[in-house]
Amino acid sequence: MQDLHAARRELEEALGADAVLSDPLALRLYARDASMVEGSAGLVVFPLSTDDVVACVRAAAAHHLSVVPRGSGTGLTGASTPIGDALVVVTSKMNRILEIRTEDRLAWVEPGLFNLDLGTALRGTGFTYMPDPSSQQVSSIGGNVATNAGGPHCLAYGVTSAHVLALDLVLSDGTVTRVGSEGPEAAGYDLRGVVVGSEGTLGLVTAACVRLTPEPPAIRTMLMGFAKVEDCAATVSAIIAGGVVPAALEMMDQGIVRAVEAFTHAGYPTDAAAVLLVEVDGIASGVAAEAREVEEAARGHEVGSIRVAASPEERALLWKGRKSAFGAIAQIAPHYHLHDCVVPRTKLVEILTGVYAICRREGITVTNVFHAGDGNLHPLLSFDRSEPGVLERVLRSSEEIVRLCVDAGGSLSGEHGIGLEKRDFMPLVFTDDDLAAQACVRSAFDPSGRMNPQKVLPDGARCGDFAVAAAGTDTTGIGDAAGIGTTIPEGTWI
Amino acid sequence: MDLIHPGSKEEVCEALRAASERGTRVSIVGGRTHADKGDPCEVDLEISTSGLDRVIAYDPAEMLAVVEGGMPMGHLRRILAEGGQEWPVDASDDATVGGTIATAPSSHRRLRMGPLRDTVVEIVLVTGDGRLVRSGARTVKSVAGYDVHRLATGSLGTLGAIVQAAIKVRPLPDARRVVRTSEGGMLAGRRILDAVPLPSSVVATPERIEIALEGWPEEIDEQTAAIKDATGVVEVLESGSVRGSEAIAGTTVVEVAVPPSKLEVVLDEEPSWLALMGVGIAWVGLPDPGERLTALRGRVAEAGGIAPVIRGPGGLGDAPVPALEVHRRLKAAFDPAGILAPGRFWGGL
Repeated sequence: MQDLHAARRELEEALGADAVLSDPLALRLYARDASMVEGSAGLVVFPLSTDDVVACVRAAAAHHLSVVPRGSGTGLTGASTPIGDALVVVTSKMNRILEIRTEDRLAWVEPGLFNLDLGTALRGTGFTYMPDPSSQQVSSIGGNVATNAGGPHCLAYGVTSAHVLALDLVLSDGTVTRVGSEGPEAAGYDLRGVVVGSEGTLGLVTAACVRLTPEPPAIRTMLMGFAKVEDCAATVSAIIAGGVVPAALEMMDQGIVRAVEAFTHAGYPTDAAAVLLVEVDGIASGVAAEAREVEEAARGHEVGSIRVAASPEERALLWKGRKSAFGAIAQIAPHYHLHDCVVPRTKLVEILTGVYAICRREGITVTNVFHAGDGNLHPLLSFDRSEPGVLERVLRSSEEIVRLCVDAGGSLSGEHGIGLEKRDFMPLVFTDDDLAAQACVRSAFDPSGRMNPQKVLPDGARCGDFAVAAAGTDTTGIGDAAGIGTTIPEGTWI
Repeated sequence: MDLIHPGSKEEVCEALRAASERGTRVSIVGGRTHADKGDPCEVDLEISTSGLDRVIAYDPAEMLAVVEGGMPMGHLRRILAEGGQEWPVDASDDATVGGTIATAPSSHRRLRMGPLRDTVVEIVLVTGDGRLVRSGARTVKSVAGYDVHRLATGSLGTLGAIVQAAIKVRPLPDARRVVRTSEGGMLAGRRILDAVPLPSSVVATPERIEIALEGWPEEIDEQTAAIKDATGVVEVLESGSVRGSEAIAGTTVVEVAVPPSKLEVVLDEEPSWLALMGVGIAWVGLPDPGERLTALRGRVAEAGGIAPVIRGPGGLGDAPVPALEVHRRLKAAFDPAGILAPGRFWGGL
């Protein structure tokens, strides 16, 4: 059975005493990520190398611990919340840039590297790393890979998956393997494509080979204010329908604009019901043409104000407004629950109206800041946990919002993932057979079920009459092998 | 060999379930346009997807199209063009959408458009034992569960039959142009790649460089001027397309995939090739799949790449497959009876 004491001794010997934490404060700190679910950590380790990670995985196997990978802990769904005294493997000390090769348009980085630090290191090379989640100052590349992170610029450039060429991966049995290739194609199935977005359940990434993109020669950033939310959303549709795909197309409602403006003083129009931040990039003459089309679309929908960033500094300020949104809302209430549904972009108005109605009914303050071009909504439910009964109302609203999006043909998550918070919603979008097939994928990588159990898939999703079992491999099912029964409650909602 | 044409997804499920029970080896066939890709394998039955050619959903405003796997590419092109859009994939009109996804050919425009795999957002797959499995979502982005559709893409029909797919499409550009230089070779290709902002492709051959440009008219004028600055004489073609792998002569055409800077050394001794600059793909024509292919594959292996044959005999090659055990478990899960084109895929799968 699980032996934390022996695991600690073994890890201290392999990694050094400094690399292993087991005091109550550390265990408490690492018992959660940025979501609302708290679990329980058994041990916390800070590997420095692939060998260290292999030692972690082997020790976990020997002493029956499950393994929970963790980057910066900015995840919003509980994917790195440990359950059942798991071994938390924190990659934040593996944060080097190993190699930048612009001639091959790639860079090798360690998983703990902050997203923004890669961008900074690339300055002056003529290349950049495109995915830009709002958390990029502190979120790690490894975490971005685990959640297939997006960001405003993924509208034109694609999510993290389109920017990852290869990953070095430690499997649950301690095998080190490489999925993908430095080249454009690899031999075999696209395992790289499956590992990206798998929320640390298939293995531990110890190095990532990311794709570098030439910096666009010209950029134009525009901020538009609308008196009606409907007109703002209709402008989004009109831009796309007109054959223009901007680099970014971000929408913010009045509640969030006011909070952001008080925080950043970026000059956002606080009297507008909704604001659209549009960026077009590319070749100078093409950028001018696209900007013209975008402005025409906005004027066709009663835009109130259009501000074009006149300098790189002004552009940075406009983006600061957008990217500070989640910090700024602390002014509204001390706690928030953030959604991440994706809907067909033609249904944005309908869904937004529904979200406002749900939250009004439950008496929850909601603000919206989201990737409108992708149809990726981020309703932010603000509340004060000390208010009796508020959590129940938040969770009830959340479930209703999820159902609303799914009924409209949407997906549960655009870029944050499923983790613990949304795994029980998975049957809303997938059949038993779909989930069984997904469980097969998981078992193919991790027959032991020890790698980040109880995340992503709901209880009962099994590989069914899985043929591997017939081939003689142990497939007792996700979460069983580490002595963690699937009936154990999935952490505490805080 | 028997050939059947199921008319619905359910009929594909029934056919594969029966084949699995009887141990009948099956090949899923579309337009047979990419049939040379893969190692040779013997089957007893062909299941054609030609009866699955419906449009399930297409709204240009969503920039997504959902179609059945047997939809011919020519038909899809016409439908998308009516919506002012395209799927930036190179496959002949006779190819099917499902077959194109299963073989995942590289487009000459990959430099700007990215690989095919990033355009496939949802797949409905019939597994070898006849289960209907859907993965992904009909939205432009989604992180919900494990992306089985990623595995199916490029799987050469060895994990299941792709009976439906949702693909990301994009607006057709206002203007297109091909610019051809009179000087060829990798060095010239690299110079153009460095000098021209955002071309759709820079295709180098030993004799010339062809550059595909698309976008706003003023934009492609700006790009054309940059090409003229970087090289001497150019020929500007306002219509037509860059020549792709079909332009390569030889009984065997190999698709080399290596890190972009390694192409030069890999192609050094070859007389007939077409290289996608900045991408790391090159199509190489060989007179026969013999020693020359072995030598080429040796150089490619040293460069850390792969060199499957895409036209003619020669198969995928013997590049090592990382995490082979994971591959075997996946194959066993999706095709438990091992009936789907046994041996066609990498690693003998």
